[in-house]
Amino acid sequence: MAKITQEQLIESLKQLKDIKPRQEWASLLRSQILADKKVEEAIVRQPTKLAGIMNTFSSVFSPRKLAYSFAAFLFLVVGLFSFSRYAVPGDVLFPAKKAVEQSQATLTGQTAINQDVETLNSRINDLIQVASEGKTNNLPSAIDEIKTNASALTKNLKSNATNDPQTIRSIASSLKILADVPGTDLSENQDVKDLYQTVVESQIADLQKETLTDDQKNTLAQAEDLYSQGKYADALVLLMGK
Amino acid sequence: MDRLNEQFGQIYDQYIDKIYRFVYLKVSSQETAEDITSKVFLRGWEAFKDPKSKVKNQGAFLYQIARNAVVDHYREKGRTKTVSVDDSPEIADPGTNSQDMAILSADISVIKKGIQRLGKEYQDIIIWHYLEDMPIENIAKLVGRPAGTIRVMLHRGLNDLRDILQEA
Repeated sequence: MAKITQEQLIESLKQLKDIKPRQEWASLLRSQILADKKVEEAIVRQPTKLAGIMNTFSSVFSPRKLAYSFAAFLFLVVGLFSFSRYAVPGDVLFPAKKAVEQSQATLTGQTAINQDVETLNSRINDLIQVASEGKTNNLPSAIDEIKTNASALTKNLKSNATNDPQTIRSIASSLKILADVPGTDLSENQDVKDLYQTVVESQIADLQKETLTDDQKNTLAQAEDLYSQGKYADALVLLMGK
Repeated sequence: MDRLNEQFGQIYDQYIDKIYRFVYLKVSSQETAEDITSKVFLRGWEAFKDPKSKVKNQGAFLYQIARNAVVDHYREKGRTKTVSVDDSPEIADPGTNSQDMAILSADISVIKKGIQRLGKEYQDIIIWHYLEDMPIENIAKLVGRPAGTIRVMLHRGLNDLRDILQEA
C-alpha cells in the first residue's frame, strides 16, 4: 500500500473536525443546563424520538408498574363482583351482578330457556328482598326487571315447538312465588300475563294428552274455562294444586 | 445568576463541539459521547456557579473533566480504553486500495479507530493539537509536562498512528 506521509496524516486528522454533535441535542442540553436542572439524569442523554417514546412507555408501563396495576385492577374487579351479588335492581352494582349471572349461565352451558328461568328466579328473589326490606326506591326497577325477563322468556317458550314439562312446571312454580310477593301484584301486567298464558296453555295441552281421573278432568275443565276468560293466574293456581 | 448564565452560555457555545469531538473519538458510540459530554458540561456549570470555585481556564477545566469522565466510563464498563483489533470490524483488509483511499480521504471511522488504538498518553495531545489547534504550550500546561516533552510525544504519537493505519 502507499506510504502515508505525515502531511497526509495530519490532513486526515484535521478532517475529523467534521465530527459535531447533533444540533438539536446540543441546543437542548444548553437550555437544560442553564435552566439549572437539578436532576442529572434529565440532561444526561436526550434520546432519539423512538427511544424517547420507548422510555416514556417503559417509565409509565414498566413491568413492575404493570404488575401492580394489574393486581390492583384484579382486586378491584373481584371485589366489585363479590359485592355485586348483594345488589338489587336499582343499585349501582346491579349491572355487575347481571354480568356475573350471564357469564355463569354461559359457562355452565345452559339453554336459553333455562337461562331465562334462572334469571326470572333471581329477579323474583330480588323483588322479594326489595319488598321485605322496604326499599321502595328499588321497587320500580325490580318490577321492570321481571317484566323484561318475563317477556324474553315468553318469546323463547313460544319459539319452541315443544317445551320440557319440567321447565314449564319450574316456571309455574316461579310465577306462583311471584304472585305471593306482598304488595306487588304483577298478574295483570301484560308481560307477566303473557308468560302466565303461555305456561297455562302449555300445561293444559300436556294434561289433555294424559289419561286423567274424574277429579283431574274436572280441574282441567275449570282451568280451561279460566283460561278462556283470560284468568291465567287463577288457572295456574288451579293447575298447580291439582 | 443571569450574568453567570450568559457567561457559561458563551463557554458552552465555544466548547460544546470540541468537548463532544474529544469524547466521541474515545468512545464507541454517539449516545455514549452525548452522555459523557452532558456530564462534563453539567459538572462544569456546577463548578462555574460555585462562588468558592477558582477555575481560571474554563476550557482546560472542561477538558480535564472530559478526560476523567472517559476514564470513569471505561472503568464502569470494566474494560480498557484501548480498542482491540477484534473490535475494529470497520477497518478494511490490509493492502487494498479501498483502505488506502479510506486513509487518504480521512475516513472518519478508520481514523477514529486508529486514534482509539493509540497509547493513551498520545491520544489527547494529538486530538488537542491537530484537531483543536491547541498550541503546544497550552497542552503542556494542561497535562503538566514540559513543552519539549509534548513535542516529542506528538511526533511519536503521529508515527504510531501512521503505523496503526498502515498495518490495518
